[in-house]
Amino acid sequence: MTLAGEVLIVLKNSLSELERLSLALEELGEANCLPLKAIMDVNLALDEIFTNIVSYGFEDDNIHLINIHLLIEGKELNIRVEDDGMPFNPLEVPEPDLNLPLEERKTGGLGIHFVRKMINELKYERRRGKNVLFLKKRFN
Amino acid sequence: MVKIQESKNGSVIILELSGRLDASTSSILEKKVMEFLDSGEKYFILDFKNLDYISSAGLRVLLMAAKKSNGAGGKVALSCLKEHVKEVFDIAGFTAIFPICSTQEDAAGLF
Repeated sequence: MTLAGEVLIVLKNSLSELERLSLALEELGEANCLPLKAIMDVNLALDEIFTNIVSYGFEDDNIHLINIHLLIEGKELNIRVEDDGMPFNPLEVPEPDLNLPLEERKTGGLGIHFVRKMINELKYERRRGKNVLFLKKRFN
Repeated sequence: MVKIQESKNGSVIILELSGRLDASTSSILEKKVMEFLDSGEKYFILDFKNLDYISSAGLRVLLMAAKKSNGAGGKVALSCLKEHVKEVFDIAGFTAIFPICSTQEDAAGLF
């Protein structure tokens, strides 16, 4: 963590780390006077990605680290999420049907749907045994 | 962190949530709602006046609560959603499947 506009958040694969994630994002937003709305959008997207990784990414009971690197570049926030879990490309998750009546509604796929809505660009790579997800958020 | 304050108005259980409803906290609400459903309650108002944040894990619990209470002939109504929480509901298409009121009093009027 050298510049205020750049931060690396390292989280363990435990859902209790969600709180640390949101606090770190708030801090980054405040230190750089970023719009609150943008930070909340990014928080939701990273929450969903992190929750997916923790819930489905690992078959063993070991501790794994998930790296979230954030870099502010002009009017953009560029984010890279890396984990060493099973290969998983969130871009391949089908869009949920949002028009079903209550009784038939499911929440599978909703998290990735949020990511798509909250983030401007999304790219996935499998690199040296790691899932690497690039996200770009533009500020107004 | 999520806190739930509970009260009862006639046959309606009122749960006032504060904090954040995400994958690490949503099980607290799930457990609470299940306890009420198991004891025969089926009318709920969830007041979100002090709820700052919700993720898909929170929506999953709300959907479960609504399905189960509807199945028992009851209802789940929501009140006082903050702007960002409301937006999450909109994006999820949940605005169409939940009665959402701007005040707790309005929500009480639905029962």
